[in-house]
Amino acid sequence: MASTSLVLRERGGAETTRRRALGRRLQRPGAWFSLPAAVLLVVFFAYPLATSLWQSLHATAGGVTTWVGLEQYARLFEDPLVGKSLANAGMILVVQVPLMIGLAVGLAYLLNQAWLRFRGGFRLLVFLPAVTTLVAYAVVFRVMLATDGGAINQLIGLVGIAPVDWLNNEWWARVALIAAITWRWTGYNMVIILAGLQSIPAELYEAARIDGAGRWQTFTRVVLPQLRPVLIFTTVTSTIGALQLFDENWILTEGGPNDATLTPVLYLYKVGFRQFDFGYASAIAWLLVGITAVIAFVQFRLMREKP
Amino acid sequence: MKRLTLLAPAAALALLSGCAMGGTGAAAPVELDPDATPTGEITVWSWDVAATALSRLADEFEAEHPGTSIEVVDVGYDNAYDKLSVGLQAGSGLPDVVTIETDRAPGYIAEFPTGLVDLTPVFAEHEAEFDPFKWSAHSDADGALEVVPWDSGTVGLFYRADYFEAAGVDPASLETWDDLIEAGERIKAETGHTLLSLDVATGGGFQMLLQQQGQGLFDERGDITVASPEAVEALTLLKTMNERGLLKNVKGWDGRVTSAKNGDSAVTPEAVWWIGTLLGDAPELAGTYGVTELPAFEEGGVRTSNSGGSGLAIPAQAENPDLAAAFIEYALADADHQASMMAEEGLFPSYLPALEDEYFSASQEYFGGQPVYELFAEQTAQIPSITFTTDNAEASDIVANAVVAAVLNGADPATVLQDAAEQIATATGREIAE
Repeated sequence: MASTSLVLRERGGAETTRRRALGRRLQRPGAWFSLPAAVLLVVFFAYPLATSLWQSLHATAGGVTTWVGLEQYARLFEDPLVGKSLANAGMILVVQVPLMIGLAVGLAYLLNQAWLRFRGGFRLLVFLPAVTTLVAYAVVFRVMLATDGGAINQLIGLVGIAPVDWLNNEWWARVALIAAITWRWTGYNMVIILAGLQSIPAELYEAARIDGAGRWQTFTRVVLPQLRPVLIFTTVTSTIGALQLFDENWILTEGGPNDATLTPVLYLYKVGFRQFDFGYASAIAWLLVGITAVIAFVQFRLMREKP
Repeated sequence: MKRLTLLAPAAALALLSGCAMGGTGAAAPVELDPDATPTGEITVWSWDVAATALSRLADEFEAEHPGTSIEVVDVGYDNAYDKLSVGLQAGSGLPDVVTIETDRAPGYIAEFPTGLVDLTPVFAEHEAEFDPFKWSAHSDADGALEVVPWDSGTVGLFYRADYFEAAGVDPASLETWDDLIEAGERIKAETGHTLLSLDVATGGGFQMLLQQQGQGLFDERGDITVASPEAVEALTLLKTMNERGLLKNVKGWDGRVTSAKNGDSAVTPEAVWWIGTLLGDAPELAGTYGVTELPAFEEGGVRTSNSGGSGLAIPAQAENPDLAAAFIEYALADADHQASMMAEEGLFPSYLPALEDEYFSASQEYFGGQPVYELFAEQTAQIPSITFTTDNAEASDIVANAVVAAVLNGADPATVLQDAAEQIATATGREIAE
């Protein structure tokens, strides 16, 4: 839709008022073609959005819904579990996202080398986890991480390490969760970074070589700066992903033990569907919208700045 | 009827975009007519063996009542409650009959007071015939029944007779939990096996031990009883077991089943439906198991509790509530039909007259010929009743964390329970009971 309107503005923008342009725009067949999409957008996006906003301003107790204004939002600040779930998401952000992006850059760089044989096969291999369904891979991880007779404990047992209580210990549960997410998403990010790598012109490498840069210098002074927009993009999507984490920790630990792996969306689910507090759950959802919006805004600013 | 819960992520993420509707579609309350002649058709939602049982009885019902048609849909356990919550919230989309488990029923009854039909006109005459705990848990604050009790979660103590024998422990001598701990230490010394396997992260049987003492998370006034002496005693018991190396901590439903199959621990304090799990998942252990009453907290104290079980309800949006009520009465308030569900699908009746059936006195091969159902039948009427509130789900989560803190991290039970009580008070605005 955006592109059509741009074209229209160029053609008739000067001598017609905006309203006339709109009228003329609707006479075009193209506008009618976009109607189904617009209807879908209103029904499945705008309406639920408005409803959840409405809900977050109400409280339902015993079947009676009352207007409470911003009370649900005030609760967010007094609720220790909101803080805890955000802290958990923050911990995943600080530890897991750099780890995963670093891995993805390394792998992408390696799998972009001309000397490497079977590059296509390796790329496919690394990318494969990204096509597994969230629920299926989380269940498999839970089985492998079982304290008794789980594959992981059997493996480390071979080298004489005592079995680890992966999912029942607060810190190990976090480690397990981070390992699972990293396995699932590294390949996905690697493919995006690979695309970024391949868009770096060969002249730059040549220029670097002529200037006498070694391998490492070429990587840090040429490749990484060129990858900047791609890295920002992958970091931001991973950040939003971490904030919206649900499936993995729900299946691995249900947010336990002792809320060690409780994330905002999992908390939202518990509040809404377990405690039937849809008003408060909607407020949590809008808090997440706010946080995500801030992150996206920062991303745009970073993208605009030239290094 | 417990199952591992995976969730349709779509349902949760739908909430992110606020898929649940505001308002509850308040319509005129549905009045059941006990004298109505059932006609037409209804749809029933259930899952697993429960759906199997209802399908079987639906066919019989249709044959006996020409002009009726009953469709039983197995909606699957994993998203049954998401569908139910959204349907009640939206005021549409639900069938004529839904299945609700006992631990979930009070929350739905309190949260959606107009969402479920008052079943009293048809079922009041049967009140004395049902498990009294189920009846109260399935009724609203005014005593109106909204979910008909179906199967009971009467708790007993399953024990590995072979381990007991190896350690020279007589199961009949276990009067109290202290006796059991003592026996557990002997069994561990003799056989190397732990006493019991628990999923501590989800609260590991704490609420079962609380109900055994006639206590819930709240009292009749709705005040918080999480820090009561009974609660401290229950948590201290779990902590003591762990300190003496008698607990095996497992993860989730499948962890518990695997642990039983592997023969890790000597006892399993669990509801009668655990029999179905053993038969289905560990048939090779036939002959190694016995059942006795749960040990009491004091000599002469209550020797059972409740864990799980379920019932059937009619949403207010049902199109044919009279036929729905007639079918529920046919299936659940009938000794023969309830007994048939025990024999065929392993669902233990909440309907007490059904327990007179000869099936319950029959010896069970799996348990070395012991007539185990007799014991559960005797104990069903003894299950202490407890009070549920709208905040049970939230309180359960907070209490589960207290259990983890005390049992796994070694914190003091009285302190963590007091903290939990205060946390519940802050979250719900309720008072802490004196």
